[in-house]
Amino acid sequence: MSFQVPIGPQHPALKEPISLRMTVEGEVITDVDIRLGYNHRGLEKLAEEKNWIQNIYLVERICGICSHSHATCYVQGVEKLMELAPPRRGLYIRYLVSELERIHSHLLWLGVAGHEAGFDSFFMYTWRDREIVMDLLEMISGNRVHYAINTLGGVRRDLDEGQKAKILEGMVTLRKRSEYYFHIGANEPSFVGRIAGVGLLPKDKVVALCAVGPTARASGWARDVRKEDPYAVYGELDFEVATADTCDVLGRVVVRVKELLESYKLCEQMVRNLPAGDIAVKAPRKVKPGEVVSRYEAPRGENIHYIKANGTDKPERLKVRAPTLANYPATVEMLRKGFIADIPLIFAAIDPCICCAERAVTLVKAGSGEESVVRMSDLRRQAIARHQNAPVKRNAVWPL
Amino acid sequence: MKIAAFLPELLRHLFKKPATVDYPFKKLEVPKDFRGTPYLNTEMCIVCRACERDCPAEAIEIASVNEAEKRFRMVIHNDRCVHCAQCVDSCPTTPKAMHMDRLFEIADDDRHKMKKDWIYVRAVLKPKAAAPAPQAAGPTA
Repeated sequence: MSFQVPIGPQHPALKEPISLRMTVEGEVITDVDIRLGYNHRGLEKLAEEKNWIQNIYLVERICGICSHSHATCYVQGVEKLMELAPPRRGLYIRYLVSELERIHSHLLWLGVAGHEAGFDSFFMYTWRDREIVMDLLEMISGNRVHYAINTLGGVRRDLDEGQKAKILEGMVTLRKRSEYYFHIGANEPSFVGRIAGVGLLPKDKVVALCAVGPTARASGWARDVRKEDPYAVYGELDFEVATADTCDVLGRVVVRVKELLESYKLCEQMVRNLPAGDIAVKAPRKVKPGEVVSRYEAPRGENIHYIKANGTDKPERLKVRAPTLANYPATVEMLRKGFIADIPLIFAAIDPCICCAERAVTLVKAGSGEESVVRMSDLRRQAIARHQNAPVKRNAVWPL
Repeated sequence: MKIAAFLPELLRHLFKKPATVDYPFKKLEVPKDFRGTPYLNTEMCIVCRACERDCPAEAIEIASVNEAEKRFRMVIHNDRCVHCAQCVDSCPTTPKAMHMDRLFEIADDDRHKMKKDWIYVRAVLKPKAAAPAPQAAGPTA
């Protein structure tokens, strides 16, 4: 006999709203249905009404953890449309911030993985070490979460010698700590016992379901945009793509720790070889008609922005494909044949960023489970019909 | 494999100072490039409206108060401001008319109290080419 267990949209095990419906037989999950749309904000539509400069700050706010990823992906696309060549010092600083962001995102994820596996001291230590890199980011850009360091044609803040020394110093401490975590991961039997063999995703499924990022690399599928389509400065830097072949959550932990070590290497190279010169060039207000696809390796995987320009100072279309969205089909595969108790761990292992992935509205009838994707005009008509006779809400006037 | 490989690290932390600070009593220094709240130096503003045009949150509003006197009013809606400092980058004058301060405790219980406004006469800056001092100094030296 099978049951359906709904998890979410609001659930203590999930940090962001998403609805998972598990069909279970006893303890074993036989089928999973993922429902999105609880965090849809209409950002793509809003982007069509703002100019190229304003949109940098808008796309930065798609996500709080990979804010720089979205902004960089957008900016490098627009620069391609504008045929701008940012100065090399600007590019080095931009991608230095992106590697620092990868470090902070992976340390955050390691803590979450420890927490989901019931290893809370690991969570506290990784998050304490994450403060080192957060302080570095704050020192470089001025603020902790939304760095706002990108601008069209370069970056907005320069690095001085003192800051360079502090970054190198921070990398030494972090490397020592990460090597220790690697040692713990390999030696702590309770932690390894909890995460090994959980959430299996064989390599052929990775290819078939188009998984990206550390989820794919943990199954031995060495795909990394930085390596296979080197953008900006990555062609001249020395690093390796981290992979593991255990295909489970353990592999995803190992890949992320290895990537941390690679990122420290990249940061040190970029700080040591920082070219002299300007940090930005002046960008035009308007863009010639055209379209561009910009790819960027975010901490969670490949991030894609599609930008279409129509000759004005605003984009005609901005489409965001966040890495989490590409990993959902693989998550369904990972959850299948797993246990109910493993759901938070497996789901956390793709490092889900729900607010990144919400790009469409689907309506589901609660009674019959019938689904329909509705057009904006129909939604509008429904809203007007619904509110026509409704009484005016008190104090509900936009007061500005 | 060894049991409790994490234990030495746990024990070491019993004798460490806390990683946090007692916030309201002790405050951390904000970094040099910190983006606080925008404010206007009215003496430099030429009312080009570049900040109003580029503000992603539409938090800056410039309106004419008196056409004849060239008197303008700038309102910054700090409840909408996202603290990106694009207004400072867009400001074309040197030195800039827009600035960011270094305050971070800027919360309020009423969003209407967070508005800030300036009423001022438009500044007339001499264009760089017409600046007489350096050109006059050139031939004599």
